[in-house]
Amino acid sequence: MNAPNRYELYVLDDGEKPVEIIEDTKIPNAATIKIVKQDHTLGNMLRAQLLSMPQILFAGYKVPHPLHPHFIIKIQTDGTMTPQAVLEQACTKLIGTMSSLENKFKREFSFKDVEGTVGAGGATAATDDPYGGSGMGGTGGAWPGGRDYLDF
Amino acid sequence: MQGHDDLEPTVHIRELKKDKVNFVLKNVDLAFANSLRRVMMADIPTVAIDMVEIEINTTVLPDEFIAHRLGMVPLASSNCDEAIRNTRDCTCLAGCDSCSIMLVLNVACHDHHTMDVTSHHLDVVPPGTPGTWGDGEEQEHDAGEELSKRGERFGHPVGKDEPGTPPVLLCKIRKGQELKLRCVAKKGIAKEHAKWSPCSAVSFEYDPYNKLRHTTHWFESDERGEWPLSENAKEEEPPRDDEPFDFNAQPSQFYFEVETDGSLGPQEVVMKGLAELQTKLANLILGLKTQPELDILTGGEQQPNGNNADGWGAGGGGGGGWGAASGNGGGWGGSASPTRGGAATSAWGATSPHSSGGATSTWGGGANAGWGSPEQQSNGWNV
Ligand SMILES: [Zn+2]
Repeated sequence: MNAPNRYELYVLDDGEKPVEIIEDTKIPNAATIKIVKQDHTLGNMLRAQLLSMPQILFAGYKVPHPLHPHFIIKIQTDGTMTPQAVLEQACTKLIGTMSSLENKFKREFSFKDVEGTVGAGGATAATDDPYGGSGMGGTGGAWPGGRDYLDF
Repeated sequence: MQGHDDLEPTVHIRELKKDKVNFVLKNVDLAFANSLRRVMMADIPTVAIDMVEIEINTTVLPDEFIAHRLGMVPLASSNCDEAIRNTRDCTCLAGCDSCSIMLVLNVACHDHHTMDVTSHHLDVVPPGTPGTWGDGEEQEHDAGEELSKRGERFGHPVGKDEPGTPPVLLCKIRKGQELKLRCVAKKGIAKEHAKWSPCSAVSFEYDPYNKLRHTTHWFESDERGEWPLSENAKEEEPPRDDEPFDFNAQPSQFYFEVETDGSLGPQEVVMKGLAELQTKLANLILGLKTQPELDILTGGEQQPNGNNADGWGAGGGGGGGWGAASGNGGGWGGSASPTRGGAATSAWGATSPHSSGGATSTWGGGANAGWGSPEQQSNGWNV
């Protein structure tokens, strides 16, 4: 009855900022970045990517409370880049990895015929070519080719 | 953490069936692979029955019991992104053809045999049928293109009209009993309710020999005898008996099997999963870039059109648009958070079972608690 709508876990409220940066006053080149309406899916992936980058001295994330739909990620750099610039770069690199993976998946899927039951029609008639053909083009395109983040 | 940065990620599909795909993902982090798993399970929209209006129920099951079962029936949801809106984003008041699908069920038993009421008895009311969404109320508001993006079977129970596919049993009735109801199916994701998950199971394995010691095998007398190897062990070198433990080693090869409930095909699930992850990252980049001009922002979803007309895709990391990042450090100070205090001081770190997998959240699902890697935590941070 009193529970908030479940979609508030992942939909920003009206006017809510998706990101909040809190500069660290005691540690040089460090910031804590609060990312709202996101969870471990994004947080852990970013943390791992950041740690693989040479500019990073520290990167860690936590979900402070399981009922609060945000996580915070703390970043300290070596000073060659600001924490948020390095976070942006981490996102870019991850998107690059994913779009290359997307292409590889597409290739692999095109090599594989669905074994058995292709023609069964019925409920999955529209999925015969779930990724090609009708309407799916939007997400199918390779990242570098023509699509950029503004399309999202 | 480093190690496979230099190598391109690769994927090999071992098996593709109508409702499942089995693949091996190589040269990515554990965190990356786990995020893919999580996003496929919990972030891909489908349609499922969300409201049920029961007119007659003289079966042995109470209304809510039946309503719950109806919610779990998988409905064909191909191209859900474009084919249906979220009701919360729709201009209608309580439901319309752009954001909802009406299904009806009307079954009565007239003979002396027990009769099964199944998902095959659910009929979709075709969009545009007058009176579906209230009397005479025209759906003048922007109807959108959703209807034209729908496949023929969109919203129909999976397996209906597909000979040989067993239906979902909802209830059994005997002579004189009747069930008559109307359902409204809506779009949603599994973070809201698991009925919207396109996946019935996602298996995720790495390091079949446990070389990394991310888990401990309890055994009576003989570890190898009591812990049979998984099939995936054939894909890797067995450890030599005298092999020393490499505590710097990182997993880089992941075995997935994505099984869907039929609402989406496995290919659509995997590709949508990757696309969804990119969307999350792209939105984060946007949020970071628009940070200095906080006042301009009006909610996350409208952002993409306003600022940042500069090409991001072209830069490929570092060039062009990125230059701004070093200059706007000043923007930070202004954004001190008033809301952060309470939560951030929780004692979370001390007791947390959260491992790097993050898989212990409600949505981690299944047996993955054991999969999280025992990476070190420092003072509550997953580092
Ligand atoms: Zn509507």
